Amino acid sequence: MIAKLILTFLLAGVVLYAWHEQGRSPLVAKLSLIAATAGIYFVWVPSHASDFAAWAGVGRGVDLIIYIWVVISLLVMLNLHLKLRVQLELITSLARQSAIANARPRKTRPRQPATSRSPHRIAAIPASSRTDNASPNNKPPSTGVSTKASATNG
Amino acid sequence: MTTRPNESSDGTWVVVPAFNEAQAIASVLADLRRTGYQIVVVDDGSADATAELSMRAGATVVRHPVNLGQGAALQTGIAFALLQDADFIVTFDADGQHRADEITTLLSALVVQRADFALGSRFRGRAANMPNSRRLLLQAAIWFTRATTGLAITDAHNGLRAMTRRGARTISLRQNRMAHASEILDQIAASELKYVEVPITIEYSPYSLGKGQRSSAAVDILVDLYARALHQ
Repeated sequence: MIAKLILTFLLAGVVLYAWHEQGRSPLVAKLSLIAATAGIYFVWVPSHASDFAAWAGVGRGVDLIIYIWVVISLLVMLNLHLKLRVQLELITSLARQSAIANARPRKTRPRQPATSRSPHRIAAIPASSRTDNASPNNKPPSTGVSTKASATNG
Repeated sequence: MTTRPNESSDGTWVVVPAFNEAQAIASVLADLRRTGYQIVVVDDGSADATAELSMRAGATVVRHPVNLGQGAALQTGIAFALLQDADFIVTFDADGQHRADEITTLLSALVVQRADFALGSRFRGRAANMPNSRRLLLQAAIWFTRATTGLAITDAHNGLRAMTRRGARTISLRQNRMAHASEILDQIAASELKYVEVPITIEYSPYSLGKGQRSSAAVDILVDLYARALHQ
């Protein structure tokens, strides 16, 4: 009974964890939820575990529970990997903002403001590029930074 | 004959992502400077003198505090160029395998064909000294990209491309490493903006081959592409 309670407690923890992760990693959360729920069921109805194990060809029911636990562990590891990737994206965004804010401009003549550029240069831009707001495909700037860089080219 | 779309060149920015390129960056930038376009080198946390050499060569330098990968460097360069009011943005590799004089061809294609993206194609142009293993790997990448994006491209993972400001604003690379080359094509397809392919020359050298992707990187790219899809 003690073993059953410990396993149930641990698997219930996995269920809660999976529920909590649904927003961030839906696929991993669903798989973990299914595996943990099945684990709890088989812990309390071991005869079904044995029947299912025999059907699946893994031997005893307890082996099946161990395999389920291994699967859950792998899913949790995958989720941790995905979380690391999210952290990397945040670091990237931070590094990008820092890099642009600290850009080292080359030493040249001051650059003309955009509004005073020569007409022939603007005319050379495809018309489609000059009507950003009119395009159905127009999207907000995807610069990854929200402020104008402090450094300019000049 | 090609027409130069921007005589003043103020509005065209060439983005050069660079990581430990001290050996080649000076000559690459010397060629680029002759084009007259604005240059931004994104030093991706190099441990060598890439940033200093780039500054000395007359480029604006944006420096990542840590190494993040070529995709991250490109996105930083594009973001920087947009903040400088760039009208056209060109991406250009730092290892010397691209030809600076072909930038004008790409920009002309954007203007003449009224496209938002001009993608360099070595298979429509010329690939000098390309190893057979690289050719096979690229053919597999082209097949994969055609299947996943629907774009009828003849080259993939080619670092020489040009885009308009509007095109650049639809690009938001989240793949820091080499999977960005597939991601950018995905985003071009998703934007439904017009793209054209332009024949270009790529000259492989022992140096560029040494700096380039290993065949095993294909596995990393696939993992990166699909791991990204597993989380929000």
